[in-house]
Amino acid sequence: MLRVAVGRLLFMIPAGLFVVTLAFGMFHLVPGDVAVMLAGETATEEVLEQTRVKFGFDKPLHVQYIMYLSRVLRGDLGISYYSRVPVIDLIVPRFLNTLKLAALATVVGVALSLVLGCFSVYWYRGPLDAVATVFSLLGICIPLYVVALLLMYLFAVYWRVLPLSGMRSWQSYILPTVTLAVYQTAFLTRMTRTCLLETIGEDYVRTARSKGLSEVRVFVKHALRNAMLPISTIIGLRFGYAIGGAVVVETIFGWPGLGRLIVESLLRRDLQVTQGALLLFAMGFIVTNLLVDVLYAVINPVLRYE
Amino acid sequence: MRLLRKLARDKIGMLSCVVFVGIVAMALLAPIISSYDPLQFNYDETYSPPTRAHLLGTDGFGRDVLARVLYGARISLKLSLSTLAMSLVFAVPLGMAVGFSGGITEAIVMRGIDVMLVFPPTLIAIVVMAILGPGELSVILALSSYTLPQFVRLARASTLSIKKSGYVEASRNMGAGRFHIIRKHIWPNISAPVIVQATLMVPLLVLTASALSFLGLGIQPPTPEWGAMLYDAKKAMRYAPYLMIGPGLALSLFVLSANLLGDSIQKIVNPRLTRL
Repeated sequence: MLRVAVGRLLFMIPAGLFVVTLAFGMFHLVPGDVAVMLAGETATEEVLEQTRVKFGFDKPLHVQYIMYLSRVLRGDLGISYYSRVPVIDLIVPRFLNTLKLAALATVVGVALSLVLGCFSVYWYRGPLDAVATVFSLLGICIPLYVVALLLMYLFAVYWRVLPLSGMRSWQSYILPTVTLAVYQTAFLTRMTRTCLLETIGEDYVRTARSKGLSEVRVFVKHALRNAMLPISTIIGLRFGYAIGGAVVVETIFGWPGLGRLIVESLLRRDLQVTQGALLLFAMGFIVTNLLVDVLYAVINPVLRYE
Repeated sequence: MRLLRKLARDKIGMLSCVVFVGIVAMALLAPIISSYDPLQFNYDETYSPPTRAHLLGTDGFGRDVLARVLYGARISLKLSLSTLAMSLVFAVPLGMAVGFSGGITEAIVMRGIDVMLVFPPTLIAIVVMAILGPGELSVILALSSYTLPQFVRLARASTLSIKKSGYVEASRNMGAGRFHIIRKHIWPNISAPVIVQATLMVPLLVLTASALSFLGLGIQPPTPEWGAMLYDAKKAMRYAPYLMIGPGLALSLFVLSANLLGDSIQKIVNPRLTRL
């Protein structure tokens, strides 16, 4: 068990390095003279030279890389050109906002899908099952932003019950969360249903039934419990992808999160922010994966001896 | 082909196949179906709701939405096919070679790929777009950054399972070289799962490309692309909500039919023992 945890931790190092290198490379791979971008189009050659020295561009590439690494480890990610705020002060609160959204959406999605999935299988091929299946299919296939736009139109423009954007009141949490949750629910319901169906066919379920246990008890204690194993695997993955989906949702609903910051800073060519935000995003992702992996090992003893 | 006959028995698969082929056909026949130029401004008829003349309305520049949707289908198809072509050409040989040879090369390559596949496709695409800037080629490369590792992994896994087969061993014993075995024995056997995976990727690619355009990072205006059209629709939501219908419906139908079709094909090619 410890071995798995350590193994995963060790994996984080090359992954983290890869991400840092990418962030570093991004800065230099961007077409155009970086000094011009930093100092402005109208800067004279003298000012450009000063900028280069200040940021260390005149040094060889590997020296810059080491400098960058040490800066990152110290938490200095530069300053945004746009707002003159240190990057790290900008990105951390926004990252928390994104996490709030993703976590909330995933929790709602998991709860809903477990309920839907269970009852669909309990009344197999019943009306609920049919509706749930159709809904999950649509939920997966209709793109996230189409759902977002639909919901936005219905609730914020046509009926005007919910706010359009921002994070001001608890109501403003609803639309973005629901949008993200739709995809989660759809996917997880399908998965839950599949896994449960597979589990129900197993021999130990038949044994439990023949022992005379009530159907409900068989369902919950034996089938569901064992089906939860593959299901929880998927849940972990989904949380990570929810963060990815949050990018689009944040942009649409004006949610002050990290995803939107990445896109905005990209469009504004505010490179320091893009770099820092991507770095944080990617690292957060890797850490989430690690935590999820460790969690599986806790839940499922089989995974402890990989 | 045997495949088509089996597909015909699956009602949903058949329906989705028809829809999908229909969409592709419409994309190819766009200039015949719609007499409007998708790029033509028409300031007399901006923001017109659906009428007989303009079945899906017109956008802020007076361009016919239906025409833009049809031409947008072309763009989406072109992007996804180019990405797939590029990925298959580079990834599959790499995967086969790596899987077959094994050793340190395999370990390094697979580690690299594992790291790359930790991230969701949208994120990777955004990063690549950040580096390369907007444009069609950038989008293709961005999408490939996700599909290439996927295919390498798939090719390698399939190669590994074929490698153990008797005929490969026999071939080796008879003195066949690596390339010969890969070409004659491994490739024909892994082509099926690879092709199926490619089919399943198409909706994901179209979705990701549209998402990029929606965010302003992908295909640039005035090129009609469904994601970009949805962005315009969003801006005009208060007074022209009908603009969402065209691209939204197109995207949803395309992804839906592609997914269902892919599922059906997969069911046929990989007969599954447990009923889903």
